[in-house]
Formats: sequence, structure tokens, C-alpha cells
Amino acid sequence: MGIPVGMISAIYNFALTTGANRVIRGARIEHVCGDPTLSPEKDYAFGMHIVRTALAAITVAVPGPTLFDPMQERK
Amino acid sequence: MRLEMGTFPVHDVTFGASTRYDAGRLTIDRDAVLAAVRQDPRIATAELEIAHPGESVRIWPVRDVIEPRVKVEGRGVCYPGICDREITTVGTGRTHRLAGLGVVEVSSVNWHDAGGDFVETYLDMSGPYGEMYPYARLFNVCLVVEPDAGLGEEVKNYAVHKAALTVADRLAEAVRGLTPPETEVFELGPVDPSLPKVVYIWCVHSPQAMSGSPTAFCTATYGLTQLTPPWYLHPNEILDGALTGPYRTAYAMSWTVANNPLFLDLYRRHGRDWNFLGVISLRTEWTTQTEKQLMANQTAKLAKQLGADGAVVTWDAGGNEFIEVVRSIQACERLGIKTVFLTSEDDATEGAPTMLEPLPEADAIVSTSFFKNVTLAVPEAPAVARVIGVPTKKILRGSAIGLHAGADASLPTAGPLPPPWRYDDHYGFGSLSCTE
Repeated sequence: MGIPVGMISAIYNFALTTGANRVIRGARIEHVCGDPTLSPEKDYAFGMHIVRTALAAITVAVPGPTLFDPMQERK
Repeated sequence: MRLEMGTFPVHDVTFGASTRYDAGRLTIDRDAVLAAVRQDPRIATAELEIAHPGESVRIWPVRDVIEPRVKVEGRGVCYPGICDREITTVGTGRTHRLAGLGVVEVSSVNWHDAGGDFVETYLDMSGPYGEMYPYARLFNVCLVVEPDAGLGEEVKNYAVHKAALTVADRLAEAVRGLTPPETEVFELGPVDPSLPKVVYIWCVHSPQAMSGSPTAFCTATYGLTQLTPPWYLHPNEILDGALTGPYRTAYAMSWTVANNPLFLDLYRRHGRDWNFLGVISLRTEWTTQTEKQLMANQTAKLAKQLGADGAVVTWDAGGNEFIEVVRSIQACERLGIKTVFLTSEDDATEGAPTMLEPLPEADAIVSTSFFKNVTLAVPEAPAVARVIGVPTKKILRGSAIGLHAGADASLPTAGPLPPPWRYDDHYGFGSLSCTE
């Protein structure tokens, strides 16, 4: 039993093909957990949403490289 | 689109009373050229020096090397768009070029102030490091230029590159009215329809994401460097400098883009070995998975619509830009377009792949060696007799080799010096071979 790892990445397909088990889709390479076009409050909430998705991801078992998409859940 | 390229080979360069070309000998009126450069109030200091092939001289810092070209007949100007030059579509008529000559932009102006990108290239005109690059075989007219220190980074970039282009223009003017010793006609004429149709997918870096500016300086397409969808360029546009600009790696500067041997070979063998369709130029360093995949899809679609049976692919950068490049290869292959990829290899230490995303569709690859000088084990560049430019060099990334191992300091440029960090031979200029 090792330590579960969640990797937040804007280029998530690359993380998946190289074998990361829990990959969380980030925003952009320049701001993986944020969006500077949002107000500070909304930017914070957006970042927290991605981080919470990542925290939830490391609590579940996965059969292999799996994508967790915070953007999908927001729609 | 028909272009006559008149070539004037340069065998000697000296300063003299007027700027003129006579039977391979270029004489430069240094005062007149510098006066033209100094007309721009943004320029603080400017000097002109000549570096000869084989000479014990080092040039630092090098932002660009430009081959002087001038439009003699037909529309527009050579090197269009960059530094506010006119953007008329080029590629027709007649162009004259000074071959074997480089105008070197020697300046400490950095690319932008967002961090991460630095000017790190220096050139040796002799010795083992000089032999690795095509520039040591050129007569290099070096413009050592610094702008007004109070200007913003982008204006500084503009000022020093415009200054270097001013020098190149002045030298090229010397051959405007002369009859070229060599003339070559370039056009995509009709060919045997059974020949395979081949497109060149020429990926060029955009500094937009790294700098945060859509107008940061880099290799430009008619002056534009921002992230844009793929362009179709007629190869004659390339010959007239539609793709040009200073760059952070030595093998993708203006001179190397204008003299790209892969591109020239693709063009010269049109009608003999294949039907060359032209160039798709893809800007790279998009910053989401979706954008990268979209650019790959659209590049392949464009190649398919052009009728391509095959594509040759190059790129000029590193890191995440590999994704849109290799996925363009994948997208082409899935549309039935055979691809060949020319690339340097990433650091393979500790079992890492030599390519960031090794997709199975990218199965025909020509390696031009490693992209890090440390991996290549390039020895230190030996001391030189003379330096053109700045007398000290900051070792930005430390050095893993030789005398300066672990150093992160300022060293005398006269050396010995660790080689620049990167060696990426993007277009197959080099002659390195390997043993296993």
C-alpha cells in the first residue's frame, strides 16, 4: 500500500499516457489552479474547486490512469 | 509565384570609404552604416566589427544572425512585417542576397521581463565549439548595440533588431544594381502527377505564453509572433524572409531559417523526386490540452486539403510544445499522410524517454542529437584572443562540466567558457555523428 498521488495538469492527456494514476484537469499551463480573468473571490473559488477535486481523487481507488475533470463537474 | 534568387558570394569583408561589392569583396563604409543606425533615438550605443572565419574571436551576446537580402524586382520588401516593415505578400520577382555573410545582432537586451527565457548564445569563429555551427564559416559583420536603458523590454527588442536590419539593408543595397554571379529560379511549376505530394510542417515557437505578451520578439511570421492557427506559406515567401527574427537558440535565428537545408532540399527536388506543396507553419506553446489538440487537428486537415501524401515535420523549441507537434504527426498519420520527424532528443538520464510523448504514430524519426550541451558532453570553449561585445558573461544555469562546474557567476567572456546550455539542431545543419 503506497501513498496515493493526484497530479493536477493542464496537459492532462500527457500525464495519463505517461502513467499517472489520478490526473486532475488543471486550467492552463500559466495558471494551473486559477483563472486571472475572474474576480479574486471567484478565482479563489475556482482554484479551491480544482484542489478539492484533487483531494477527493486521492480518496478513491482507480484501476489505472484516470482523469478527474473539475471543469466537467462545474457545467 | 516565381522568384529569381540572385546570389552574391562574399569571400572577403573590409571597412572602407564606401559600401560596395566587387567580385566577392565587400567593402563597408562603417561611419555611414553606423550613422543610419544612430538615427533612431532609441539607440544609445552602436559599434560595428568584423569577425572572420577561423579567427580566434568570440561574439557575445548573440540575439540574431541575418543574411542581407534585398527585393530588386516585384512587390514588397525582404523580411516583411518585423519591426514595422511593410507586410505586402512577398515571393515574386527578383531578390538579391549576400551569401556567406551574417549581420550579427550583438546586444544584452533580453527577450522579455517575465522570466524563464534568457539570451545565452555566443558564437566562436574557430575551435571545437565554432565547428558545431554554420556561423563560424561566415564573415560576420557584428553590430554591438545597446538601446536607451530607460525603455521597456519590448521597445528595446524592437530597437536593436531594427538596428541590425538597418545594417543588413545597407549591405544588401550594395548589390541591388549588380548582375548576380549565380541565379536560381524558384517556382512550384506543374510536375508529373504520379510524384508523391509532400508538405513541410514547420513548427515555430511563440513567446506569447511565456512572456504574457502577444507582441514579444521571436521568429516572426510577417512580424507576428502571437499564438495563431496554422499558416500556409508559399516557399517563395520563406525565401523572401516571411519567417524571420531573433531567437533564443542558435539554430533557429534569421540566417538558419533563411538557409534551412531541409526546406531548400524539399524545394529543389520539386518535380524530380516529389511534388512539393509548400509550407504549413504552426505556432507552438499553446497552453491547454484542447488548444494543442485543435492545432494538431487543423494542421493535419490543412495538409489533407492540400492533397499531401507525406509530411516532413520540424520544430524549434522544447518542453510542452512537443505535444502539439507530435499530435500533428499523429493526426496526419490517421488521415493517411506519412510523416517524417526531424528532432533533437531530450535528456534520457534515469530512463526518461528521449521524447516527451512517444506516440506510436511517430515511427519515422531523424535524430539531430541531444538538445542539451551537457548531455552531448560538449567540452568547454577554449580561451580566445578577442571578444566582440560584452567582456563578461553570467553563467545562468551553472555548469555541469569542466573548470566552471557548479559555477553561477560572472566570467570573463574571453574564456575558457562552458558552452551555451542548448544545442538543438532544428533543421539538420550539423555534421555530428555518433557511435554506440
